[in-house]
Amino acid sequence: MSSAMSLTGIGLVIVATIGIGLFGLRISRTTSDFYVASRAITPRWNASAISGEYLSAASFLGVAGLVLVNGADMLWFSVGYTVGYLMLLVLVAAPLRRSGAYTLPDFAETRFESAIVRRICSGLVVGIGTLYLLPQLRGAGLTVQTVTGAPPDVGAAVVAIIVVINVAAGGMRSITFVQAFQYWLKLTALATPIFIILIAWRSGDHPVGVLQSLHGAAAEWAEPLSTAGGRDHPLYATYSLLLALCFGTMGLPHVLVRFYTNPDGRAARRTTVVVLALLSLFYLFPPVYAILGRSFAPDLVAGAADTVVLELPSRIFPGTAGDLLGALVAAGAFAAFLSTSSGLTVAIAGVIDQDLLRTRLTRLTGGDYLAVNSFRIAALLAMSVPYVAFRVTGALSLADTVGLAFAVAASTFCPMLVLGIWWRRMSTTGAAAGLIVGGVAASAAALVNVFGAPADGWARALVVQPAAWTMPLAFITVIVVSKLTPNTIPAGTARSMVRLHTPEAVDVDRG
Amino acid sequence: MSDTRPGEPDLSSYRDVQLSPDFSELRRRFRRFVFPMTGLFLVWYFVYVLLADYAHGFMSTKVFGNITVALLFGLGQFVSTFAITLLYVRWADQKFDPDAKHLRDQIEGETK
Repeated sequence: MSSAMSLTGIGLVIVATIGIGLFGLRISRTTSDFYVASRAITPRWNASAISGEYLSAASFLGVAGLVLVNGADMLWFSVGYTVGYLMLLVLVAAPLRRSGAYTLPDFAETRFESAIVRRICSGLVVGIGTLYLLPQLRGAGLTVQTVTGAPPDVGAAVVAIIVVINVAAGGMRSITFVQAFQYWLKLTALATPIFIILIAWRSGDHPVGVLQSLHGAAAEWAEPLSTAGGRDHPLYATYSLLLALCFGTMGLPHVLVRFYTNPDGRAARRTTVVVLALLSLFYLFPPVYAILGRSFAPDLVAGAADTVVLELPSRIFPGTAGDLLGALVAAGAFAAFLSTSSGLTVAIAGVIDQDLLRTRLTRLTGGDYLAVNSFRIAALLAMSVPYVAFRVTGALSLADTVGLAFAVAASTFCPMLVLGIWWRRMSTTGAAAGLIVGGVAASAAALVNVFGAPADGWARALVVQPAAWTMPLAFITVIVVSKLTPNTIPAGTARSMVRLHTPEAVDVDRG
Repeated sequence: MSDTRPGEPDLSSYRDVQLSPDFSELRRRFRRFVFPMTGLFLVWYFVYVLLADYAHGFMSTKVFGNITVALLFGLGQFVSTFAITLLYVRWADQKFDPDAKHLRDQIEGETK
């Protein structure tokens, strides 16, 4: 792979990202602009931006890597990533918009009238965001390493610095433009090599044995629920993964805030339809890389599987054509790291800013500071934690780490949102207990994973895919504790319910 | 964001709305549509996974050429995901929103 060409490609993405970011900065003026782009973004732009933000290192590199190693079961990753949006749409999107809250902690505070529940939510947002940022940094390190041979720290540091600068400078408005641009860049980068391979093969350059390699000894790989790649209890693992992805999406901080950028509920629904189409289109391609990788890069199965998307073009077309395509893919991968990291950083920084910094800064300076500066410091903090985590943790597959972030979200915010929106008798104590029990169980599983999971058997299956037991555990905790503590049902429940369930405002301007 | 908090009609009117049959009806209708749909749709995914493992013979039945039942069902999942989304959007636009607007007009009439 030619490192000069790939570095040029990556450089162009970085320049374009910063350029569009600066363009957005000229438009972004007020706090509302900064957080949610003043809710004035059309569904198509917004859908491109949501998809651009959502397709992370895990989707761009990780899914192909997992399918390459573990076979057909891993296709559920792409299905689950997409279906999560449908769940978000039908179960929580509209009521959440009506709540008038900007973030999950805001929602928790209005619904449960408790600063403690709010603080638990803030902690969870930072935790889930960190778990999600970690694989982005790892992916960036891996890409730069594959392209140039430089140590992983380099790529991670580059992404961390650019994201902090961009977020601190432009906030959400500029990010929306950047994200929309990056969806199309990612799709182009991933699809072009595949189309060129297909064209080359049609014109007669068909390498022998591509599809044959799926039969015979490797047939197990293509079978559903096989234990190829050494994953035990495939049925449990698949169900657990599906649950985490279906119900985790609604609790991802960077996803939810996007829905507030729609002007109204109708536009929010339109947006979701377009998002589903865009995501489905994108996810057609990673499995193709995995299947081709099985023939052209079998050495990666036991090693750096996450690099299969990066390696494949130059393996199939040695020479300039392969280098060019390789550069395109590397650029697309960088777009993935930058866009997801930016979105996450905006979301985490928003929470750190509101819940940790504001009060302290006010005390320190006697209120003599700019609100936007507080946000900027928060952005720096939001990226520092995952960067340190990246330095101290071992290598875990990209898509698996992201899967854990979904599992934590599904075990904490999902019960809080679904029950909070639909169940009148949910008590504040119940909400707090559910968040803590689900959060501790799922985070413990995530930590064990990040620092080294048990080798095999049920212990491994339960820890690698925790959602199937942590999510029901959280739901049961909320229900049981709420039944036991009816005296802490929030006094304003009736008002909250009316507000959540009557569309777009009783003489209410929701900002 | 305290600066965007709505001007609040007094509490008792909220409770009235909460207790009103129209509001319960609205919420019930939403739940009756959305919850079963979500359930069905999850079952469909989970059954697919089960079939893929335990009904090999059935899933690898060739319908025509190399097209197997598994492949058709797999594509069917994408199609059904879209179908459900479009169904929901249509339902929300045509049924739910007008009913909710009606309720809103009532509330506004009372609180203003």
